[in-house]
Amino acid sequence: MSAVVEQKNAYLAEFENRGPGNEPEWLRQRRLAGIHAFEAQGFPGRRVEAWRNARLMPLAQSHYVSAAVRGALPMALAPTAAVVPDAYRLVFVDGHLSPDHRALDDLPSGAVVRSLAETVRQEPDALEGSLAAHAELDNHPFAALNTALWGDGVVVDLAPGTVLDRPLVLVFMSSESADGHASYPRVLVRAGSSAEADLVLVHSGPDDVSYLACPVTEVAGGPNSRISLYHMQEEGSGAYHLGVIHADLERDARFHLHSFSNGARLGRTDAYVNLLDQGAHADLAGLYLVGEGQYSDYHTWVRHRAGHCTSQQLFKGILDGKAESVFDGLIHVAPDAQNTDSQQQNRNLVLSPRALAHSNPRLEIYADDVKCAHGSTVGQLDREALFYLRSRGIGERDATGLLTFAFANEMLEALPLEAVRQYQRERLFGLLPGDETVKELL
Amino acid sequence: MAMLEIKDLHASVEGEEILNGINLSIEPGEVHAIMGPNGSGKSTLAKVLAGHEGYEVSRGEVLYQGRNLLDMAPEERAREGVFLGFQYPVEIPGVANTYFLKAAVNAIRKHRGEPEVEAVEFLKLIRERMKLVNMDEALLKRPVNEGFSGGEKKRNEIFQMAVLEPALAVLDETDSGLDIDALRTVSHGVNTLRSADRAFLLITHYQRLLNYVEPDHVHVLVRGRIVRSGGKELAEELEKSGYALFEENAA
Repeated sequence: MSAVVEQKNAYLAEFENRGPGNEPEWLRQRRLAGIHAFEAQGFPGRRVEAWRNARLMPLAQSHYVSAAVRGALPMALAPTAAVVPDAYRLVFVDGHLSPDHRALDDLPSGAVVRSLAETVRQEPDALEGSLAAHAELDNHPFAALNTALWGDGVVVDLAPGTVLDRPLVLVFMSSESADGHASYPRVLVRAGSSAEADLVLVHSGPDDVSYLACPVTEVAGGPNSRISLYHMQEEGSGAYHLGVIHADLERDARFHLHSFSNGARLGRTDAYVNLLDQGAHADLAGLYLVGEGQYSDYHTWVRHRAGHCTSQQLFKGILDGKAESVFDGLIHVAPDAQNTDSQQQNRNLVLSPRALAHSNPRLEIYADDVKCAHGSTVGQLDREALFYLRSRGIGERDATGLLTFAFANEMLEALPLEAVRQYQRERLFGLLPGDETVKELL
Repeated sequence: MAMLEIKDLHASVEGEEILNGINLSIEPGEVHAIMGPNGSGKSTLAKVLAGHEGYEVSRGEVLYQGRNLLDMAPEERAREGVFLGFQYPVEIPGVANTYFLKAAVNAIRKHRGEPEVEAVEFLKLIRERMKLVNMDEALLKRPVNEGFSGGEKKRNEIFQMAVLEPALAVLDETDSGLDIDALRTVSHGVNTLRSADRAFLLITHYQRLLNYVEPDHVHVLVRGRIVRSGGKELAEELEKSGYALFEENAA
C-alpha cells in the first residue's frame, strides 16, 4: 500500500509546484478545495462502496503528470476528431488547445465559446459564480483532482433565447507522446433562459499508450433551456478515463445525455443531475461495449429536488471476453418533490462466460406521491432467436452479430443527431462479430 | 433418390427419449402429413430435422438428398434447401423483417456461389411472394414477428418459405390456432409452392388442414413411433375415431 500513498503525494507535490500564476483568489481557493478533497479520498480501495469494483491499484502506482506540451493529433484518429461534419469545433490535444482545428466562425449572436484559460486571463472574475461551483468533489477524487489541476477547457455561454444552429463538437484527444501523462479537460456550459444547444464531447486517444484522462463537464441549465450532450468515451486501450458530467437544471430545463463508452482499459463516468425546480426533465442514455480486459463503469446520481420533474435513465451494456462492467444508478426524490416521475432501466447482454456485469439500482424516495420504476437485467443472447436465424441460413457468427446489433440499435435509433447516429453505427459494426452480413442491413 | 429418408430415428430431450425409432421416406414432389396426439413427438421430429441443439439423436440416421443431414449445422441445412416453419415463430426485436429475409437470401445465394441479390430484384421478389399469403406490406418494416398476431406470424412463416424456395419444407403445426380465412390463405401458399422437385412434411394436430392441402401420404405418430401410414382416407378415419385406438395399439 505504501506505493499508493507515495503516488498520492506525487499529485499533491505537482499541485504545490504549479507556480503562483496570476489566477484570481476565488479560483485559487477552489483549486485548494479540490486538492484537499483529493487528499482526503486518495485512490479509493475496495472498501469504498462507490468504487469497490474499480481496480485502481495499477493506476495508483504511477504518477501521471500533466502534459507540459501539446503532442500531435494522431493521424489514425483524425476521423474521430472530425466527427459530425459542418459543426463548430474546438480540439484539444494532451490538454492543450490546438489552434489549427478551431472552427467557431459564424456562431450566432448570443453564443460565446471560449478557452477556459483565456477567459480567466482576460476577465478574471467572469466565471466566479459558476466555474467549479456545480460539480461535487466528495464522491469522486478524480473530479477533485481536475478541479485542482485543470489547465484548459471550454466555456460555452448561451444568452437567453439563443439557439445554436449547428452542434458544437469538443474533442479531447491524447497523442502518441501522452504515455505517462494526464489531462484534466474542463467544460462549463451556461445556458440562459430558453437557450438550446447540441454538444458533442469526444474523448479519444491512441491504443497501447498509458495515460490518464480526468474530464469534468458542468452544465448550468437555465429556465426552459435545452442541452443535448453527446458523450463519446473512445480512449485508447491503455488509458484510464475517470470523468464527471454534472447538470443543474432550473425550472422547465431539459437535459439529454447520450453517452457511448467503448474505450479505455478502465473507464468510468459519473453523471450527476440535479432537478432543482419544477418542470425540469432529464434523460440519460448510455451504451457501453466492453471487450477483453476492459472495465466500464457508469454511476448516475439523479436527484429530484422539486416537484413535477421527470427523469429517465436507460443504459445498455454489451460485454465480451474477460470484461467487467458496472451500472450503479441513483434516483433520489426529496421529501417535497411530489409528482415526480422517474424511470431507470439497465440491460446487459453478456456474450462470454468470462464477462461480469454488475447492475445496482439505488432508489431513495422521501416523497409519497411519486411514480418511480426501475429494472435491471443481465442475460445472454436468446438461444431460440439464434436458432431461428440459423434455421433460415444465417451463420452463427452473423446471427450473433445481428442479434447483438439489434440489442444496441435501440440506443442508436433514438439519437436525434444523424451524424452521431451514423458514426456510432459504423463503430458498432467494427466491434461486432460477422459484421459483413450486418452491414448488408444498412 | 429420396428427398428425405429417416431410418430408425431415436431422439431425446433432457435425457427423456421422445422419438423411438421413426422410419419415413419422402420422394420429391410428395406431400406427407404427420398427425398425432399431444406429446407424441411431432414437434421433436421437426426440431431434430432442423438441427435444434436441445435435441439429442441417440440412434438412427437421416439422409437428405442422399447426404447425412444430422452432420450439418442448422444454417447449412437451410442453405441446402431445408425449411422449418415454426410452431411458435420467434420474435426478434430490433431486426426488421425485410433485413432478416435479405440476410437469409444472401446467405443461401453465397452458399450456392451466386452473387448477392440486387435491391430492386429483391424488392420485386418479396412483393410478389407477399401477395401469395395476403400479407400486409407494413409487416415488412416491422421487427421480425414482434407484435404480430398469431395468424400474421404463421403467414410470415409461409411468406419466408415462398421467398427462400426450399426443396424440403417441414411445417410444424402451421395450421394450429388459425381461423378459417387464415387457414385458406396459408393452404393456398402451400398449394402454390407444390412442385415436382419440392417435398412437404406437414405436421398437424388437426385433420382440417388436409381439407385444403391434399396429402399423398398420412402417418400417425404415437409415442415417438409411426404406428400407421396410409393415404388421405386415413386422416378422415382419424377424424371420426380419434387417436384412442392407435394409442391402445401402441401400448
